[in-house]
Amino acid sequence: MTDTSAPRKKVAGPARGFPMIDFSAPRHREKFGYLLLAPAVILMAAIIVYPILLSVDISMQDVRIARIGDAREPWTLKNYQWLFGSDEFWRGLWVSLKLVFVVGALSVIIGFATAMLVNQKFRGRTAIRLFVALPWAVPEVVATVIWAWMLDSSFGVVNWVLLKLGVISTPVLFFSNPTAAFAAVCFVMIWKGYPLMSIMLLAGLQSIPEEQYQAAAVDGAGPWQRFFYITVPNMLPVIGVTLVMTSLWVFRDFAIIYVLTQGGPIGSTTTLSILTFEQSFEFFRMGQGAAVGVITMILCAIVSRALVGRLAKSVH
Amino acid sequence: MKTLKKTAVGAALALTTCLTALPAAAQELTFISWMTGEPGYGDWWNEIVAEFEETHPGATIKMSRVSRDEYADTMFTLFAGGNPPDIVHLAAFEFQPFANEGWLEPLDERFAQTDIPLADWAGQGTCEWEGQTVCLMLLYSGFIMAYNEKVLQDAGVEEVPTDYESFLEAARKVTRDVDGDGANDFIGTVMPTTGDASVMQEALGFVVDAGGSWTVDGKPAFDRPEVIQGLENWKRFFDEGISPMEVSSADARQFFLEGRQAMTIDGPWITGVINSAAPEVKQHLKIAPSPLTPPLGGTSNVLAMPSELSDEKKELVWDFIQLTASEKYQKRFSELGGSPAPRPGLDYSDVIAENPGFAIIQQATETAAAAGVDRLPKGLELENNEVVKIFFEQAQRMLVGGLDPAEAAKNLQEKVTRIAE
Repeated sequence: MTDTSAPRKKVAGPARGFPMIDFSAPRHREKFGYLLLAPAVILMAAIIVYPILLSVDISMQDVRIARIGDAREPWTLKNYQWLFGSDEFWRGLWVSLKLVFVVGALSVIIGFATAMLVNQKFRGRTAIRLFVALPWAVPEVVATVIWAWMLDSSFGVVNWVLLKLGVISTPVLFFSNPTAAFAAVCFVMIWKGYPLMSIMLLAGLQSIPEEQYQAAAVDGAGPWQRFFYITVPNMLPVIGVTLVMTSLWVFRDFAIIYVLTQGGPIGSTTTLSILTFEQSFEFFRMGQGAAVGVITMILCAIVSRALVGRLAKSVH
Repeated sequence: MKTLKKTAVGAALALTTCLTALPAAAQELTFISWMTGEPGYGDWWNEIVAEFEETHPGATIKMSRVSRDEYADTMFTLFAGGNPPDIVHLAAFEFQPFANEGWLEPLDERFAQTDIPLADWAGQGTCEWEGQTVCLMLLYSGFIMAYNEKVLQDAGVEEVPTDYESFLEAARKVTRDVDGDGANDFIGTVMPTTGDASVMQEALGFVVDAGGSWTVDGKPAFDRPEVIQGLENWKRFFDEGISPMEVSSADARQFFLEGRQAMTIDGPWITGVINSAAPEVKQHLKIAPSPLTPPLGGTSNVLAMPSELSDEKKELVWDFIQLTASEKYQKRFSELGGSPAPRPGLDYSDVIAENPGFAIIQQATETAAAAGVDRLPKGLELENNEVVKIFFEQAQRMLVGGLDPAEAAKNLQEKVTRIAE
């Protein structure tokens, strides 16, 4: 028999002068969760929150070149006054929104179409899936440089083919004509961005219960009816997330535009991210550049919230 | 025992002395340049570095290369991060923001203690920032015309153009589609339309020829009649389909190397391009004075010292700058670079004897300097990148959108005045 009357031996008692918390106690249980989360939260604060706060701080100083550790200037709204009064900002915002709309819409359409294609069972499906995903795997700058060569008006293969086919009589000035330059940027962005759409939408398609299609078929629903009444409603949350991802990517993308057009011609491809770079690192006006960056961040947050909220709710 | 103790103390003392002296002697200076490894200018730097290391035992220079395209960004990041190179090499049009931040050491007192003839040093005035000398000008050059004699003669142009009208007329005659495929096989002259700074520089040549300049007394002067005339003269080459669109400076030089371009107005570095041409083309390539008068000229690159440097390193960097400015290496510069050095009073007779074209470059440099021509708009140095961007946008409106030069000049004046204020 075991003597239960003897006092229990303490397994881990409080060290002298150093109070310990018993996390197994119900009133301390939540604290343990926070403690486990702390390293991740601190890390996120260091690599995400601090740069954001720094950007906001710089955007509210009248500085050309900001250096961490230097004496700081007093806070002012001068950069935001410049921002809202400048043609460059409104033009940059308009170009960004146009780009988001065109690239987002066409990427969804092409991505959806290719996702539905590779969702079917047919011979060579694996190879087609690979080809669909290929542009996504090519590094952005490498792909853009290749497209810049191909679209060159003097030596590019695109103009050569169009001329040989008789589609055009003179080479298209892809980087001098504002409309052509915008179209070229859209094209390369869609080419680079649609595979991600396709992959995500394919995952969404595969999660739709087969029973819904079978029930619709029994009720006599045709392919279009099945698409509009089963596929689309089920896919809306996925489309919402992919649209948010694409919008954010287009909003902040720098490499494709910079390599192709540097924001030209005549500002036709100067998005807010290009404007941020231009103000900060070409004109050495970091206060103004930071102000553009802060506004871009706020716009992205609003767009994300609006898209995710509306589309996620609409499915039900 | 006593002797042993003395020996040990002596040895320890000697070791301590050696160890203390070691960091002072074994100094490594960092030097970043876009010219590293280039034939000509790169060789010149190598020779200076070799002599510096030879005359400064223990001191070494670690040279590294950053391409011109990303040079300003890289230097900006290094300075802003508090880690600038010890020897600062910058383009003449980009050092101003660095000087404005107080990142470059004023050198007036140091120069005053030397016999470097700074007063007549070509382009040295550009190195003054807020009344202080913050750098040494390394190159001021005048532009010349390189031409393909055969292409000109085949087009019926017997005389090498000597003014704007004859230049335009010769370009018109040369530009033609020989095989009827719709593309010009021979082009009179190819001017860059991509690369904002190159486009502005090219247009300035015509503006200067028409008697204008971007600024007068440090104030924007874009809407003056001479500037408008210059812009019209420049635009005519595109309106008449002589110069193709979407061409960079490198593309233009490539047309010349391929023997498809008859004339090109460029800096003295065009002689290096000529030397790299295939023998069948090179035999027809010659240089002549620019048909645009006065020729375009400009400051090119500068050497400076960061202000945040230890006194010890500052002395070494100053020695390096002095060596660069010495008569020996200024002369060597002209030999290796093929263009006159900024130091005044150098005898180029032996260089001219070896390379007769050098006299044309020297003459162009002197004429441009005498006329006070500089690619960098005086008074707008700090805003130069913005000015270049504004100009490029108006240039694109003129070339692609057909905007009238007078209207473009008016827009330029308004926009540049706004940022200058």
